[in-house]
Amino acid sequence: MADEMELDEPVSPQGSTGNNNNILGAPSGAKVAAMQTHTKATAVRSIEGWIIMVTNVHEEADEEAIQDKFGDFGEIKNLHLNLDRRSGYVKGYALIEYSTLEEARAAIDSAHNTKLLDQTIQVDFAFVRPPPGKGGARSGGGGGGGGGGNNRGPNNRARSGRSRSRSPGVAAAKEDDL
Amino acid sequence: MSATNEPFYLRYYSGHSGRFGHEFLEFDFRVLGDGRSATARYANNSNYRNDSLIRKEMCVSSLVIDEIKRIIKSSEIMKEDDAKWPTKNKDGKQELEIRVGNDHISFETAKIGSINDVTDSADPDGLRVFYYLVQDLKALVFSLIALHFKIKPI
Repeated sequence: MADEMELDEPVSPQGSTGNNNNILGAPSGAKVAAMQTHTKATAVRSIEGWIIMVTNVHEEADEEAIQDKFGDFGEIKNLHLNLDRRSGYVKGYALIEYSTLEEARAAIDSAHNTKLLDQTIQVDFAFVRPPPGKGGARSGGGGGGGGGGNNRGPNNRARSGRSRSRSPGVAAAKEDDL
Repeated sequence: MSATNEPFYLRYYSGHSGRFGHEFLEFDFRVLGDGRSATARYANNSNYRNDSLIRKEMCVSSLVIDEIKRIIKSSEIMKEDDAKWPTKNKDGKQELEIRVGNDHISFETAKIGSINDVTDSADPDGLRVFYYLVQDLKALVFSLIALHFKIKPI
């Protein structure tokens, strides 16, 4: 795995080709503002673009309804409108990919808390940077043994009292990967 | 955005050991300290046709976590009990662990081949909740992985 690229952007090996994003350096102030989620986390770019999530999507919405509303902000490169496995209706969320940060930002700013088929939808980035400090060092790092060790801490705590915690396979994977 | 500060942890595991070694799929979500984001991890090990381990880690926004919580809460899985569910067997097992606020569940059961296994079980209503919730969670995780990393998770 591309651990050496994961210092800041765990999943963006395309850093050097980012659309005018100085991804590897410190983003400009405007850039940082454009990348902020509603809860002030910082969005990250995915392999081929920026992914936003839409929630409280009406169960009878279809891809055309999503296209009609979100196509205005840029070309939708990918759309996942998953169905409830039990009812067959829309589960309630959509994931949309745009090529550029500007398009994703426009969709979030324009469509958040607006109506889609009579329901008020929420719109925000799906993927963010790990917070600085412990979180960042942990999941962003991958480079240091400390990262891996840290990784297990909270996990084990969450499973305290159970005889069987991590599966051996996952443990082995960690050793291999980190 | 809803109160994202309540503790939240989700882990799902499905696997078995057999001719191709330990084959499994596992993912988990854990909210990070300030509640603004959560780490999500995904591992899929299939040795079939020399496939190798896929392991991915990503950080998702609070809106994604809110949606996962909504899916969990509306499923009412937290009211279920795995006491009468089929126990793990040579075909493997599934585990589902969820902590939301003060509620915590940790279920273990056999793999479910089809809805018939659910209908024929001693607790069809409870197992059905589990069966569909797991499918809905997997669908979300696979979409996140596919869009973020541009790989087919399975």
